Amino acid sequence: MTTDDPSQLIFVIDDDEAVRDSMGMLLDSADLPHRCFASADEFLAHHDASQRGCLVLDIRMPGTTGLELQQRLAETGSCLPIIFMTGHGDVPMAVEAMRRGAFDFLRKPVNETDFLERVRDALDRESGSWHQRLDRERVRQRIATLTEREHEVFQLVAEGIANKAIASELGISERTVEVHRAQVMKKLGAKTLAQLVRIHLRSE
Amino acid sequence: MTKLPQPLNSKSGSSGDYDRLETLLQNLPGMAYRCLNLKHWPMDFVSDGCFELCGYHRHEIESQSVLWGDFTHPDMIDEVDRIVSSAADRGEPFEIEYRIITRDGREKWVWERGRVVDYRSDGVAILEGLITDITDRKLAEAALMRAEAYAQAIVESAVDAVITVDSQGSIESFNQAASAMFGYRADEVRGLHCRSLVATTFYREFDRYFQRYRDPGDAAVHSVDLNACDKRDRKFPIVMSMRAILDVGEKKYVMLIRDLTQQRLAEKEVRDQRDLLAHVDRLNTLGEMAAGIAHEINQPLTAISMYAQSSLRFLQREPPQLQRLEDALEKLSQQAHRAGAVIERMQEMTRPHQSRQQTVDSGRLLREIRDLGEVEAQIRNYIIVLRLDDRLPAVKCDPIQIQQVILNLLRNGMESMHANHCKPGSKIVLQARIDHEQLRISIVDSGQGISRKFEKQLYQPFASTKESGMGLGLSISRSIIAAHGGQLGYSNNRNGGATFFFNLALA
Repeated sequence: MTTDDPSQLIFVIDDDEAVRDSMGMLLDSADLPHRCFASADEFLAHHDASQRGCLVLDIRMPGTTGLELQQRLAETGSCLPIIFMTGHGDVPMAVEAMRRGAFDFLRKPVNETDFLERVRDALDRESGSWHQRLDRERVRQRIATLTEREHEVFQLVAEGIANKAIASELGISERTVEVHRAQVMKKLGAKTLAQLVRIHLRSE
Repeated sequence: MTKLPQPLNSKSGSSGDYDRLETLLQNLPGMAYRCLNLKHWPMDFVSDGCFELCGYHRHEIESQSVLWGDFTHPDMIDEVDRIVSSAADRGEPFEIEYRIITRDGREKWVWERGRVVDYRSDGVAILEGLITDITDRKLAEAALMRAEAYAQAIVESAVDAVITVDSQGSIESFNQAASAMFGYRADEVRGLHCRSLVATTFYREFDRYFQRYRDPGDAAVHSVDLNACDKRDRKFPIVMSMRAILDVGEKKYVMLIRDLTQQRLAEKEVRDQRDLLAHVDRLNTLGEMAAGIAHEINQPLTAISMYAQSSLRFLQREPPQLQRLEDALEKLSQQAHRAGAVIERMQEMTRPHQSRQQTVDSGRLLREIRDLGEVEAQIRNYIIVLRLDDRLPAVKCDPIQIQQVILNLLRNGMESMHANHCKPGSKIVLQARIDHEQLRISIVDSGQGISRKFEKQLYQPFASTKESGMGLGLSISRSIIAAHGGQLGYSNNRNGGATFFFNLALA
């Protein structure tokens, strides 16, 4: 479980002061760190791409609406899961939000147990995807240290092509292929061919 | 009566008598005759009027080449014969009207009066008499009868009751519609005073009307709305009009009465429908607002359930976090009030307004309202200041509605002060003083005031400067004050904030 990742925050965005305050209190009581915003614009003003956690977002708000904020975040490549809070008669909006990749929506008045559960699920999901992204980023960084020739060898080895065939493909000796291959393994931190193939897959 | 010349049985008078008589006879309007009471009445004397009457000359009739019976209309000759013969048998005079056909084939009505003057030796009666043309009179009579029948048909077929009364008000005639309307037969109502057709509670009004319009002095038709009363004592609304007519020197009155029951029912139905429509309209407006209202209620409900859950969690901590629990419960209670207020506002919209005005001690009413408003003021940390004239008079109002209005204005004022970042301890003033024989109540805040921009939609339903407001408060308040005969006014204060005020009538 990664729920207690201290870098995760729950961003509560609701124009209603009481709703905001009560959610904050509930999250407090569950020891979930959070920040409250009265509008989407207020949130955006404080937002940067490195922020982690999830969003609890009122779908109906004056100014920038919940759906608009979802759109804006998607455009910046944000991976923050969004839980929408919807009122009576907001079902079409909720459907649209889900279609655009919302994590979930909860009808007001919200069942608190569901609420906390869904918030934790969202944090888990974010945590998972964050680590995945982190991992991919590390792999990319390592791949970036390969020379051009090493990169060529890495691609062909990962595709399962034998050293001999690689040598003839690249017009170099088999011995040279072996040297490059050893270098690639070392740079990417792979001990076996299987590990190398997995790294290759992750980098894609 | 003097005997005529050339007696059939040769009884003669002097020649001087004859000339005088001749002159007299020739000047008679019509035809004098003498005849035998035989079939077709052979005439041995007629006056010169015969030519004008029937187109035959005297000599033609006297020579008996034509008989009087030949002129008599075939339809009537038997009847004429019967009357004349029976009169002759009894020796009495007779009078008869019948038709003849003249030489040129025209029909004429004639009036004849005659009597037996003598008997021939064989016992046949000798008749003398006068026959006059009465065609013009008959035509006029027929026309009159037709006109009467026509008028009668109109009266009888009329939907409205048509009643004629004499100058004392006694009923003389009653048409079929009147019978149907009042349940009296024409014969049983005759002679009754027309007032008895009116409900007793309307006697005075009816008498006044009857007196006033017996001689209206103009040609206009004056009508009056009354409640009538039929034979079975059923009361029903009528409209009645009256005209005087002159009948052989005596004044009579024709009364037209229309039963308004159906009309009143229809009117009521229209009214009910209109009310219903207005209600439906309000509900529709509400229907459109349903999502918004649901949102309004869902917000506090959401907060309530969250605060409740938080409370539970603070309580379950080891040790329990009582300070935070208290905070949560207090906020929870506020939100419950907020939800209640939304519902209250909604009910005001849907409930048909029933104003129950009563005499109210204004000082006491205002103090009670202040106490009610105090709860909200404490939440915001503001103070409601009551400024009342000494010895405030009683006013006439619906205290519940006025309370709603003042509380609403206090709430608006405090919200405006909050939006204006007024410090804790700021004051909102509720004051009352006598103003031109009325009680002026004002609510003076130190909030944002009314901006020019918002002024236009100030009283519009669903317009609000508050993010959480439904925008119904002022619109409802204004209608309540209007229902009290007053006006909800406002002005911006010189040193900030706004004042809302209205007047109430003194009891």
